[in-house]
Amino acid sequence: MAQSLGIHHVGASDGELVRRVRAGDTGAYTALVARYRDRLGRYAVHMLGDREDAEEALQDAFVRGYRSLARCDDPERFGAWLYGILVNRCRTAGARAARRGRLFVRDDAALTRAPLPSPAERAEWDDTVRRALARLAPEYREAFLLKHIEDLEYDEMARLTGAGISALKMRVKRAREQLQLIFREAERV
Amino acid sequence: MFEHSENVIERIVAHLRRPVQIDPAVDSRVMEEIAGGPTPRVSGPHEAPPAETATRAFQFVVVAPRAARVALVGDFNDWDAARTPMRPSQRGGPVWTAVVPLSPGRYRYAFLVDGSRWLADPAAPAARDDEFGTPSSVVTVGGS
Repeated sequence: MAQSLGIHHVGASDGELVRRVRAGDTGAYTALVARYRDRLGRYAVHMLGDREDAEEALQDAFVRGYRSLARCDDPERFGAWLYGILVNRCRTAGARAARRGRLFVRDDAALTRAPLPSPAERAEWDDTVRRALARLAPEYREAFLLKHIEDLEYDEMARLTGAGISALKMRVKRAREQLQLIFREAERV
Repeated sequence: MFEHSENVIERIVAHLRRPVQIDPAVDSRVMEEIAGGPTPRVSGPHEAPPAETATRAFQFVVVAPRAARVALVGDFNDWDAARTPMRPSQRGGPVWTAVVPLSPGRYRYAFLVDGSRWLADPAAPAARDDEFGTPSSVVTVGGS
């Protein structure tokens, strides 16, 4: 395996970098990692609700992406391709976290005790949103994040998740309804 | 109520869309894993990037086992060890990285380990015109 740490230009196109990696320039992959780290990381953080788990899933996705790079049919769309890998890694990590009781906050009382979000109290609002997201079923949270936060079209979401478009639309709708309900409940307390 | 509910969703979306900063050390951990584990060596620059005039970001990566701190020093930061500290991939890990914007030109550089040990890049051209008497390397950034 080519070992090429050192210095990397991080302004080349995805396609160019993928071609360099495939040609044996392993180090060119650092530019792709740096390029997509924060954007994909945002999805993982919101999906998993835990930064450490998110970084682990992200790292795993990047490594798997590298090892499967020959299967990336359209190098210019490397980011979209990698997204699919991350979505799967988050599913696995989420299931693992749920089994050890780390992720899903099912404590409704704790949520309703949360103060109303206020622009002046960002940390509390952040906590409230995080707990509300954690109360959604994973497939609802996944659909909501991909649609509204990552701005994906339904056909792209279908490709990434393997679910049908009508099912995805339903999941997004349910996620919105449940979030509205959760926040209304919190308001009444 | 409907208007209120829609407003809640909008606020949630706006909140979640804020950029999230992920620890850049993820990059090094990925590269370590790809390389099959840490290797006590430093390797050199890649092929010269295509000629451009704009400043571009370059990532420097060095493997320095047992280092407590590593700084990237060179012509681009006046050889000031305080200006470009490198980040470890993990606490006590051997891989350190830093990203530096470089405009086209020729730069001498070195890694300063624990404030006293100078490390050149053995896979990069040596800087034969280094007047400081410590090991250093050269990277040339293509320009128009």
